[in-house]
Amino acid sequence: MYGWIWRHLPGNVLVRSLISLVLVLGVVYLLFQYIFPWAEPILPFNDVTVDEGGEETGG
Amino acid sequence: MPRKSSNASPADDAEVTADEREDEREDDEESGAEKAEEKDGEKDEAPRPAPSRGRRRLAATVSVFGELLITAGLVLGLFVVYSLWWTNVVANQEAKRDSDAVREQWAASDDDATGGDDAAVPPEYDPEDGIGFLHVPTMSGDEILVKKGIDLDILNGGVAGYYDEPVESALPWDDEGNFSLAAHRDGHGAKFHDIQRIEEGDPIVFETENTWYIYRAYAILPETSKFNTEVLDPIPEESGATEAGRYITLTTCTPLYTSRHRYIVWGELERTEHVNAERTPPEELRAN
Repeated sequence: MYGWIWRHLPGNVLVRSLISLVLVLGVVYLLFQYIFPWAEPILPFNDVTVDEGGEETGG
Repeated sequence: MPRKSSNASPADDAEVTADEREDEREDDEESGAEKAEEKDGEKDEAPRPAPSRGRRRLAATVSVFGELLITAGLVLGLFVVYSLWWTNVVANQEAKRDSDAVREQWAASDDDATGGDDAAVPPEYDPEDGIGFLHVPTMSGDEILVKKGIDLDILNGGVAGYYDEPVESALPWDDEGNFSLAAHRDGHGAKFHDIQRIEEGDPIVFETENTWYIYRAYAILPETSKFNTEVLDPIPEESGATEAGRYITLTTCTPLYTSRHRYIVWGELERTEHVNAERTPPEELRAN
């Protein structure tokens, strides 16, 4: 998979490395900006309030 | 960078792993010509007989699967970084901005108009922008902005929220009742991260525009069910309280890094102090 991407990037090793770096940073940005904030309330790690059973409050 | 298997070694080497081949390449200084050939990378048919199509496909599938697993591991690692570090950065920025806004509002508002009485104010500001600051010197050196509501979008802003449901919180200036607060233990500012440092007798101070409300912690419940809403009652009997009074309740999750249970600290109002022109903090805060 990653080998396939690498082979399809243009340029020499240096250029490919730079493009790879940009791609990685882009993915990290997407994760931090959109995907993690979306996933976080769904995951049971950060509810701090007391509430009645079933009711979906969080914190 | 996986290399194509145009390795000139005998066919029975087909099983060598990529790592081993990498080593080989480093050791094998004299085989420069071969290396140049390898670097071409294209599927030039090597002297070695190609493995069967089915086997190649299987190998490719396994390697993609492995790479997906590695990727999943990295993403989970990043999620930890996000939860425990990045959300704090964002939330603290937000809290700082909102706190400054509240302070500016206080500085700008006309004290005579309010008569220095919190309860008399039909607040000009929206309680969702913040009603005051919580100071708990034994827990944290920072002031914690308090806003109305316990929804995630409020608490994630690096603040503490007072309960509007399931049991509506009293406000500090009410004659009696329970001022109940929630905040994050980890991430999103982690304002109650060190709640376990609070001991009975420690001061919990709430600062509004005109008044310092000085509470004393008198009971701690290190672990309770997350459905235990009775801790928020106007007279929180679980803390040993039996009559109406002016209480404060801090709630957050416990143990650290989980949401399994809730940690509760109760305090009772000891006295109030009027805020002077310099906003001199009460002695409980000066000592620290």
